[in-house]
Amino acid sequence: MNAEQKGTACPEYEVLLEDHLSGGMDAERAAKIAEHLKACAGCRGALEDATASLGLLRIAEPTPDPGPQFPHLVMARIRAERAEQPSFWQPLVSLSWKFAATAALAFALLFAYDMRAAHQAPSLTAVSMRSATSNDLFGQTEMVQVPANRDEVLMMVSETSTNNDQR
Amino acid sequence: MPVPLSRTAIGDAERELVRLAQGGSEPAFETLVRRHQQRVFALVNGILRRREDAEDVVQQVFLKVYISLKRFDQRAAFSTWLYKITVNECWDYLRKKKVRPLVYEADLSEEQVSRLDGAISAERPPQGPSEQAEIRELLDRMLEKLPEEDQQLLVLKEIEGFSVEELAQILDINVNTVKVRLFRARARIMDVYRRRLGSSHRAGPRPAPGERKA
Repeated sequence: MNAEQKGTACPEYEVLLEDHLSGGMDAERAAKIAEHLKACAGCRGALEDATASLGLLRIAEPTPDPGPQFPHLVMARIRAERAEQPSFWQPLVSLSWKFAATAALAFALLFAYDMRAAHQAPSLTAVSMRSATSNDLFGQTEMVQVPANRDEVLMMVSETSTNNDQR
Repeated sequence: MPVPLSRTAIGDAERELVRLAQGGSEPAFETLVRRHQQRVFALVNGILRRREDAEDVVQQVFLKVYISLKRFDQRAAFSTWLYKITVNECWDYLRKKKVRPLVYEADLSEEQVSRLDGAISAERPPQGPSEQAEIRELLDRMLEKLPEEDQQLLVLKEIEGFSVEELAQILDINVNTVKVRLFRARARIMDVYRRRLGSSHRAGPRPAPGERKA
């Protein structure tokens, strides 16, 4: 199918036209495109444009080589980045600091709990002693339970007083 | 007289350099940088079209290559791998900086048009470095009028000298697609050129071939 308007290439010939422009086509394809160009004004116009674009772009110059010093700049940047980067052990060190901080907090909480328990200890001992003494009168021994919290202390106190009342 | 190295010998030497650099040899890595710095610069310039930022981006590319070199298994050529890292770095740069192509609204003066025309037809080549620089700037201004992809293809192929096959590999597209896009980009740059000239060669801007013939 030929293009209706001059300068517009047939889509199925665009690859061939680009190859034609850069040269290096085999004889069979060169003959095919030459035959088509004879009949197609659109492709002829597009090829003229493409050829003119080569002249236009020839004005520009390729990027120059950055010079022999450039690899030294790259290596300096690599060394600087390497110096800034954390070591292999850095994550482990920061993790161990986190562990240490958590352990210290746990220890502080336990210590605070122990201190509070020590404050409550005299009343508990008194309850246990009272309980142990009353049982001893009947020649029985009883396991002295240590209360885990304030509620258990209150329950033990109330149980002990109820037992004493029943007797 | 030194005997020119064959392609295979160059490939073998490069593989050996890569192997040494992977083992931590800085001189080997430096040699790889020296060998490829010009092409990487050309690629970055072709994509960014901003020479003032190119050096920083190229350094960043080689830094990334250095960091990830141990993971490179040498199944592909080192240059292919390097160019892909370069292209990705350019996209990252454009995305981060939100760089948009510069838009030049002002048209060219009669004198500039005449100089440009003379340079293109080779009838009156630019006289001296300042005129050369001016002509190049005019071309840059025309390239900036094109879609980014057209600019990149034309610059990389016609100015920086990358082959169609290299472009297909670098940009991850089919060779024939590169050819079609290049051919259409040529038509577009000539449209921009004609509009700048104000020539009656064609009546108004012409859409790209593919756009007209869907």
